[in-house]
Amino acid sequence: MSFGKYITATKVSWQAGFVYRLNFVMWRVRMVIQLLALYFLWLAITSKSPNAFGYDQATMLVYVLGSSVMRALVFSSRSIDVQGEISNGDLNNYLIKPLNYFRYWFFRDFADKALNIIFSIGELVVLFLLLRPPVIIQSDPLAWLGFLVMAPLAMILYYYFSLLISMTTFWYPEGDGWPQRFFVFTILESLSGGLFPLDILPAPVYSVLQNLPTAYFIFVPMQVYLGRIQGMELVGAIGVTVFWVLVLWWLARVVWHRGLKVYGAYGR
Amino acid sequence: MNNNENMLSMFPRKLRKYWLVWWTSAKLSLSSNMATRGASGLFILGKLFRFGAFVYFLFVLGGGVNEVSGYNLSALIIFFLVFNLFDLFGQLFFRGIYRFRQQVVSGEFDFRLVKPISPLFQALTRHTDFLDIPLLLMVIVALVGNIDLVPAGSWWIFGLVSLAGFILITAIHVVVASLGVITTEVDHSIMIYRDLAMMARFPVDIYTDAIRGLLTFVIPIAIIFTYPAKAFLGLLTWENGLVAFGVSLLFLYISLKLWRYALTQYSSASS
Repeated sequence: MSFGKYITATKVSWQAGFVYRLNFVMWRVRMVIQLLALYFLWLAITSKSPNAFGYDQATMLVYVLGSSVMRALVFSSRSIDVQGEISNGDLNNYLIKPLNYFRYWFFRDFADKALNIIFSIGELVVLFLLLRPPVIIQSDPLAWLGFLVMAPLAMILYYYFSLLISMTTFWYPEGDGWPQRFFVFTILESLSGGLFPLDILPAPVYSVLQNLPTAYFIFVPMQVYLGRIQGMELVGAIGVTVFWVLVLWWLARVVWHRGLKVYGAYGR
Repeated sequence: MNNNENMLSMFPRKLRKYWLVWWTSAKLSLSSNMATRGASGLFILGKLFRFGAFVYFLFVLGGGVNEVSGYNLSALIIFFLVFNLFDLFGQLFFRGIYRFRQQVVSGEFDFRLVKPISPLFQALTRHTDFLDIPLLLMVIVALVGNIDLVPAGSWWIFGLVSLAGFILITAIHVVVASLGVITTEVDHSIMIYRDLAMMARFPVDIYTDAIRGLLTFVIPIAIIFTYPAKAFLGLLTWENGLVAFGVSLLFLYISLKLWRYALTQYSSASS
């Protein structure tokens, strides 16, 4: 199995990121605005209520800032274009080539994520210098190790999740798959823990949400980083994430093969 | 002559022409929504879910803390409802701006320039987003349900800053259209405005002085979203209301000047 062509795809994607520089910078500006809105909201809340929802101010602000890095790592992707390729028939170009479509997009995503992560960390450094937030950097090596295991798993999990959303376009190509994507985006905003940590919700709601794969995109990795999930609980969290990765990987393969049977190559 | 035409005949000829153009394009937008019912349904569901989830989040916040920057749960909900009222106004009537870039980069904008209708009017109102109406109705009903919160003496201030808000939203969309002609970067400019607007889902009092100043005087998000909510709660003085109205007129004037300049920069590329 040769990875050369996929590495080339990664390089091309990386270079493409620099072709549309203004586009990319504007995108990052948007991310910073979103981060600032969340940061100041939680700063205002925790200033008056230092231990609101079981988080002290430093822990909550680390959660907010760390979530922005997780967003860049997990949610940035080029494979979102898969839905357009299915709906306008461009998928044909790949079907006749000797490459694995899933692997091709995974490698292209990798370049996009690398670019976003680099900028995201740079932005955080600037914000740290400007805002001087009262945060504590994690000093427990086990928490770091757990986080470094969970973060790539979250990335892979979202990759298959996103592919599944794109593949609904096989059956519903209306609007290049954007209606489905928009609906999922709105749900992810709340269920991934990007807006607030899920454990601030009432216990019955939290017990449902923490078992969904969406909780493993941002919320659970950040809990691991904060040291709020440790020991056997951490092993369990990694196990559940691996379980969801395998489920979504298997589902993606099944849906892909079924989708190809109904694929009409419209627009070609 | 039918009733519609009878009514229209009371208005000046130019206004009638613009009304008919908007009405026709709005009907076409609605037909387009109806033709793709499934997609429209998903968009509406997504918007309603996002709204409902945020209101639920506010209730969770209200259950855990007494106040945020001096505002209790009821006040925070009013801020969020007023934010939605003005945000949806822009999306409902000016959705055309989201499709403007394609017209500029493809040169299709040439065809807008030769028509006897303002190209700016066409750029902004070409598409009316009826998918925002269900949520807008919910927001209006919720605000009317809380109307007793408005002190008697604050009604005219609320009316004045609301008018200022609508003028400013229009002005910002004009600026975005102008930037679209000059730089061909409409998509990100309008989304940056939307992201900045999202900062006003909560009162701008939660931000530092510098950010609050930026959101009041440079990109007047605070005047659009926070001032009407404060007026609704009786927390805005009439002096602030008058200043907001003056600022809105100034912004509109500047935005129209910018648009005129932008037209001189249009290169008609790709046409």
